[in-house]
Amino acid sequence: MMTVTVEAVEGGCVLSPQGRLTVVSTPQLRDEVAARLAAGDRLIVVDLSGTTFVDSSGLGALVSCLKSARQAGGDLRLVAPTEQVSMVLRLTNLDRILKPRASVAAALDD
Amino acid sequence: MTERPGSVVIDVAVEPESIDLVQNAFETWWTSLGDDSLETRFSFETAIVEIAANVVEHSRRSDADHGRRFTLELSATEDRLTAVFHDNGMPSEIDLSAVSMADLEDEDGRGLALALLSLESLDYEHVDGKNVWTLVCRR
Repeated sequence: MMTVTVEAVEGGCVLSPQGRLTVVSTPQLRDEVAARLAAGDRLIVVDLSGTTFVDSSGLGALVSCLKSARQAGGDLRLVAPTEQVSMVLRLTNLDRILKPRASVAAALDD
Repeated sequence: MTERPGSVVIDVAVEPESIDLVQNAFETWWTSLGDDSLETRFSFETAIVEIAANVVEHSRRSDADHGRRFTLELSATEDRLTAVFHDNGMPSEIDLSAVSMADLEDEDGRGLALALLSLESLDYEHVDGKNVWTLVCRR
């Protein structure tokens, strides 16, 4: 079970998935990012501090959303991954293209 | 359905929602072990979720029979954690020795590679009409 809260910020939004980001819940994140990009947002910040678990389909969704954001002329930035999420980002080398920031403020300042 | 101390078996339908049930069962089982190593927990849990997803996805792609089920048995000894999946779907043609991590820009193809990296051993065989996945993690 996952919920995604959305907070508007200047030029974009902060999405906060709460719970497990797995094959069951990734469509929700993809749909939310697509909707925000369609609405004109260019900076998508994904706050992972409440995301307890990410599997390979969740990682695939983050890569897909990163590509969509960049194709729209924007960016997607991850914030504060929890321990399991940091582990899978590292094992898959995705921390190279999805380099996590320590806080939402740091992601907005970059 | 606890079989013996340190062991649990669950039996669920082959459908995406069952992955949540697998993870719920894993959390309960893990808590019962009293092991506080987060690294061990996350490695094993990650591999289990990836194999459960593989079982579901393989069945969806290859099998018109929607009545399939799979079981997962979790067990622990002093130095090993073992998970065994059984499902009665079509045989898989997976070659685990050929699995590699997807490229950075790819949106899929990371599941089995992630499981292999998280485990001491991962084996697949087709025995007596069933697919059997055996996952072993050192603790």
